Amino acid sequence: MGAGKTTAIQAVSEIDVVSTEASNSERHLVDKPTTTVALDYGEILVDGEEKIRLYGIPGQRRFDFMWAILKRRAQGMVLLVNNDAPDPVAEMLAYLDDFRELYDRGGVVVGISRSDIAPEPDLATYADAIALAHAGKVVPVFTVDPRNNDDMRMVLLALIANIEMRALFATVERDAI
Amino acid sequence: MNAAVHRNPAVISAASSILDEMKSVSSSLDYAALLTDDGFDIARLPGETDGARFASMASSMQALGDAVTHELKIGNSEYIIIASAKGYVVQLRVPGHPMVLSALFDNDATVGSALAIARSFVQKMATLLTETASREPEMTSPDSGKNL
Repeated sequence: MGAGKTTAIQAVSEIDVVSTEASNSERHLVDKPTTTVALDYGEILVDGEEKIRLYGIPGQRRFDFMWAILKRRAQGMVLLVNNDAPDPVAEMLAYLDDFRELYDRGGVVVGISRSDIAPEPDLATYADAIALAHAGKVVPVFTVDPRNNDDMRMVLLALIANIEMRALFATVERDAI
Repeated sequence: MNAAVHRNPAVISAASSILDEMKSVSSSLDYAALLTDDGFDIARLPGETDGARFASMASSMQALGDAVTHELKIGNSEYIIIASAKGYVVQLRVPGHPMVLSALFDNDATVGSALAIARSFVQKMATLLTETASREPEMTSPDSGKNL
């Protein structure tokens, strides 16, 4: 909670975003008035014709039933990590584990937010942790400002490229057998 | 610092008493839960069940209902009903509070009577919360939680 998922979808979506915000009871943990309790929904067009549907999901584990619902229809994931959280690297690794099937099926890109406020850990620390926990996996890591349309577009395009590249490699490997 | 609403003993006790009273009024009531808007379980009936997962689901459902009425420009969602062969879930917000009642009635109740009972008890809950708040100034909604 607080990494900027709702903000990111609002920044990048080309349609009015569907949001499901509720009063946040945990302001002692993350001081923001509302939190997402079901999903955010937005859309962008890539290359003028391909529609990308964006679903923002609640980060708190108590909403993991929503994760299951939205995971089924997703091809890839941008994992936004709040660098200002107590142990963001461990948090990232836990989510990567929870969403492992999205990596297996499509692709995952990590966006580190709030690194202007908390400069540490740096990108290399995240990349090393991923390399150690998921040897052989390609998970690009970027710093992002979720409020910035260009940043979020770049991350989404990286995700799409990642999914397409891996699909291509899978085809090449299959044909080689 | 204010405790979160769902951890406030006075709120939990008020919620439990409301649910108990609801059960005494309607024998068709199989399950009921009071939860925060953002999906924290406050009290449930039967009390020994684990309400955490259901509270989160109910909060998502409430928010999706609000998103739908907003999308269709028909104001705010007043209640949500899910009907199945074995019963009805009736869900609605406690007026003036970031809190939701979700109740499962068996088929011996009609949808109308289930809704009427649920409506009267969210109203009672709102009244009880106001009374509790006047006795205990610490108890506030999350939105006013800044006045520490």
